[in-house]
Amino acid sequence: MIQSSETTLAPAPVEVQKGWGGQSVKRKEDKRLLQGEGVFVDDVKRHGMGYLHFVRSPYAHAHITRVDVSAAEAIDGVYGTLTGEEVAALTDPFFQISSVPGANIKDFSLAVGKVRYVGEPVVAVVAETRELARDASELVEVDYEPLAAVVDARVAQDSDTPVLHDDAGGNLMWSGLYSWGDLDAAFAEADRVVKIPELHFHRFNSTPLECDGALVEYNRGVSQWTIHTNNQFPGFAAIMMGPAMKVGLDKLRFVTQDIGGGFGNKITSHPQLVVCCLLARKLNRPVQWTEWRTDFHLSMSHGNERWFRDTEVAVKDDGTLLGFRTKALDDAGAWLRYEPLGGVIWAQVTPGMYRWKHIELEFTQVATNKAPVSPNRGYSRMQHLWFTERVIDIVARELDLDPVEVRKRNYVRAEDMPYTTPNGCVYDSGDYAAMLDLALGLVGYDSMEARRADAKERGKLLGVGIGSTLDSGTNNFGQSRLINPELQFSGNNEVATVKLDIFGEIVVTLGTTPQGQGHETTAAQVVADILNCSVDDVHVRAGHDSYWNSHAGFSGTYASQFAVTGLSAVKGATEMLAAEIKKLAGAVFGGVPAEALELADGGVRIKESPDAFLPFMACGAIINANNAGLPEDLDVTLNCRYVYRPPFEVPDVETKMGNLTLTYACQVHVAVVEVDPETGAYEIVDYAAVDDCGKRINPQIVEGQVMGATAQAIGAAVHETYEYDEDGNLLTPNFYDYHVPHALDMPPLATGAIESPSPFTPLGTKGMGEGGGAGIHAVCAAIQDATGQIVTDSHNPYQRVWRLLQEAKA
Amino acid sequence: MLLREVEYAKPGSVAEALELLAANDGARALAGGQTLINVMKARAASPDMLVDLNGLDDLTGIELAGDGTLTIGAMTTYTELMGSAEAKARPILGEVCATIADVQVRNRGTIGGNVCSNDPTNHLPPLMVSVGARMTIAGADGEREVSAEEFFLGVYLTAVGPGELLTRISIPAGKKDGFAAVTLGADGTCIANAAATVNGSVRVALGCVDAVPVIVTAESADGVADAVRAANLEPPSDVHASSEYRTHLAEVLATRAAQEASAR
Amino acid sequence: MDVTVTVNGTTYERDVEPRKLLIHFLRDDLDLTGSHVGCDTGNCGACSVIVDGVLVKSCMLLAVQANGASIETVEGLAEGDELTPLQLAFNEHHALQCGYCTPGMLMSATALLRENPSPSEDEIAKALQGNICRCTGYWNIVEAVKSVAK
Repeated sequence: MIQSSETTLAPAPVEVQKGWGGQSVKRKEDKRLLQGEGVFVDDVKRHGMGYLHFVRSPYAHAHITRVDVSAAEAIDGVYGTLTGEEVAALTDPFFQISSVPGANIKDFSLAVGKVRYVGEPVVAVVAETRELARDASELVEVDYEPLAAVVDARVAQDSDTPVLHDDAGGNLMWSGLYSWGDLDAAFAEADRVVKIPELHFHRFNSTPLECDGALVEYNRGVSQWTIHTNNQFPGFAAIMMGPAMKVGLDKLRFVTQDIGGGFGNKITSHPQLVVCCLLARKLNRPVQWTEWRTDFHLSMSHGNERWFRDTEVAVKDDGTLLGFRTKALDDAGAWLRYEPLGGVIWAQVTPGMYRWKHIELEFTQVATNKAPVSPNRGYSRMQHLWFTERVIDIVARELDLDPVEVRKRNYVRAEDMPYTTPNGCVYDSGDYAAMLDLALGLVGYDSMEARRADAKERGKLLGVGIGSTLDSGTNNFGQSRLINPELQFSGNNEVATVKLDIFGEIVVTLGTTPQGQGHETTAAQVVADILNCSVDDVHVRAGHDSYWNSHAGFSGTYASQFAVTGLSAVKGATEMLAAEIKKLAGAVFGGVPAEALELADGGVRIKESPDAFLPFMACGAIINANNAGLPEDLDVTLNCRYVYRPPFEVPDVETKMGNLTLTYACQVHVAVVEVDPETGAYEIVDYAAVDDCGKRINPQIVEGQVMGATAQAIGAAVHETYEYDEDGNLLTPNFYDYHVPHALDMPPLATGAIESPSPFTPLGTKGMGEGGGAGIHAVCAAIQDATGQIVTDSHNPYQRVWRLLQEAKA
Repeated sequence: MLLREVEYAKPGSVAEALELLAANDGARALAGGQTLINVMKARAASPDMLVDLNGLDDLTGIELAGDGTLTIGAMTTYTELMGSAEAKARPILGEVCATIADVQVRNRGTIGGNVCSNDPTNHLPPLMVSVGARMTIAGADGEREVSAEEFFLGVYLTAVGPGELLTRISIPAGKKDGFAAVTLGADGTCIANAAATVNGSVRVALGCVDAVPVIVTAESADGVADAVRAANLEPPSDVHASSEYRTHLAEVLATRAAQEASAR
Repeated sequence: MDVTVTVNGTTYERDVEPRKLLIHFLRDDLDLTGSHVGCDTGNCGACSVIVDGVLVKSCMLLAVQANGASIETVEGLAEGDELTPLQLAFNEHHALQCGYCTPGMLMSATALLRENPSPSEDEIAKALQGNICRCTGYWNIVEAVKSVAK
């Protein structure tokens, strides 16, 4: 049952902003999308293009003993093929982020000699039509010598388990011990040690409705590829692809326009893009690749599956949390791609929202014969935050304390902000307890016992659960050195260019690759406020083109950062432009100082004599086309590029201390479920999502992100899972078996907001949108409350709930 | 996406359709296509020829006879049945059709296609068995009629043989029916279902537990759970439900369907 | 095979393979790329179009089956630059983020409102059950449709 949502603002005062910022300006990108005039990657066509189809492995683990493409190539209309052998000859293996042993694996864009998961691309075929490419791919002969598969990370390192990557000497890819504070002292001080043998965070992803794709053109004259794609982090794709293809990054031009959802899942398409590039060059024609849904489920970017084992929690009898130790075992699937960054990203939120000081986590990542993982909305923090939340509710149950009280007793307090965590991260601002009160109020927590009784009368078990999480945004890429000290990455950056064109058009170019986050709108709001004009006068270019020069090493849209990195770059560039406009006008007006000028009504004027007015059109025309007689030393281009660089230090690789992210948006979600005790089926009957992401440039867009993250969390908690059988076959390869929420599945939703501006960002904003997976935990906790049984898995389909109820009976 | 090559024929009459099916070994009838086209997209089936039954008036229409018997043309869509005044004579039919998939699928998908595909997770096979439907099958030698119980033979297998077509389904008068299902979410893939009809005693047809609907009978709804247990079901395990869970659901859903039927 | 269809008032005649799905015909042969593909099992509804007044998923229909039909797609909703009240409501209520599911959502909602100009929230959700959105959680979409209900 779906019900409309209402936003409730916190009683805490929310600063009313002047101007465009802070208003729910209607999105500029909507018109084209509503008319079917967006340009998504599969909409891009070129004369003479060929369609690419991948031959994929039917085995989870096998040697490739023979590949024969002759029958496929013999078909009329087939343009050509590419095999793993060719790839190995033409390219180097992709650069590995990992230190040893993961550093030693050899990852090519097609399987070379061996396949390691069902669906792995083995051969690519290009033909005149989509259908023909698939027909021909069926004629490619591949002989396999099947090997035993490993699908359970818990046995991956056993001596009798088959090894995926001989180069790594085993299935261990990366491990590291994180230890902060004094664990021995914490456990000595504890009244109780709560032991949790095993918790499991399941494998799923956000399944953007548009799958991956590309249209790649090769310009032979200048040896340069133009890659029209929906990859959401071209900067990362470039640094992976350039060295592998042995070309400079300038030879790889990335172009995106509209992207049909990303959620992190479209970061790691670089192997497929390399195949498209090699074939575009080999066949001397544009190559088009569209990934279909089953391909996506089989092979693209699953979220990290993680086990938390042998957890011990040191607590006082009153529920004060002192510390914990645990062993995190992460299942990377067959290739590392973006991994093992998940092995450190979680540390951005090491203590969750709590004040415990002593934490030890042994992180181990292994390879299995499953699809490779990659970032997924809430990447790596979500798994860890689910774990910390699970610990809270299990501790509360063991100590017979109220989960609300345990949270409030241990939350980082508003007066502690900015708060430095045991590992040196700095939580910038927030009032977690106030958010919890707001969320509980939205679901009518005070009357919950009456509702519980009412549900019982109807034969249902009611449960209430809380999920409180952080959405850490704006990465310090220096944290990659905790994975591999050799890596030369640190800090972060984003670029924007703002210019006045010849007719006075205000043109904004972003480095980001939005996938629905409304960047064109929010960027225009920031620009309009500075130039004192209408958002309608600001033209933000749709999409991304690395040739626009609005592109930095970390450009892209990922990891909750646009409101900080993107908009700060826009702010910086626009302020530069405003200063230049004043400089120009000052010269035109005959030496008027900038302080005496103001921007207004689409131009610049002298404050004291507003009739002295130079419209933007005149400014643009003078600089671009009518500049004779301007003072020689007038340093004005009206084309301003600004790189925003957040203030970061390189973390200490020995102590693993450092500030890993700049901002911490916060979510508190509360779910109310009713369980049918006979079947285990349950319905979420009430839901509240409260979010604090600092200053909101566009509250409606922010709320939209909160809603989307909520829906994805509910889907993951209840139905969405990538399940494999023991032979490594994916059992949920499509939307028939992988059930994502439909309109009828959505609960009534109440949203709430608090604004705690970040003291660390130019606009007081915080990155947001990932939602931290609060909803996954809220549902788990509600099921624990309803069934009275400890929930140990992040995924609770009806069958598992029924099983819990059976255990309760027994 | 991307089907294998296939021939397409659009016959003008049932007779012509039968001829096409008889003359081409690899031909298959195309009804609403909401299952078959999907199977072909996966290339899990690749008929040589599709014989499109859309537009054949002889296969459409819903008639209500004086004795309350409903006759439903095989190419009747779920949406047509839901909107049919005649079909309200047996209310459960429209009610169950309204829970199948979604608007778009109900607009194209047909009653005949649903039963002929006999996917064990479909809603209509158990319902047809519980209401005592009779299927009319046309072939080169004319028409024959089989009961729903005889109609469903195995997974994706029915009494409709090569060169034959299901033309219509007749359903006797009645009102005391019930249906219960557990699906993924509000409207997703079915995990288990049960259809019940009270006609003196209670007759329940269980779906998703075997290749064909399993029938259990009891004196009243109270006895249904015991009857299901006595049936010693051995349903398949899959990613959505273990055999044990399905067995349990069958018992619960059979009882609920029987209670609903008894209460009408 | 020869196929003649009228899409948004324009008649097209093309020679197509019988195996071609209507969605590929619209997108690849007629360059009407507003309708999208989001799955390969008929679940997502991004390809929803109206064929002879009936809402269907164009990935579960062969192009040859649409021979002679009149088809409505998202490109035909607005009159030139004039968005329909439903399209405007989607903008007003932030009922789209990435916009990929939006064409199918609009076609499903259009079909609903023709049949039932005053749908309840529950009827709206039922009408959209065959359209998957992964960005919005549906709340704002339902809100948008409700706002134009009579």
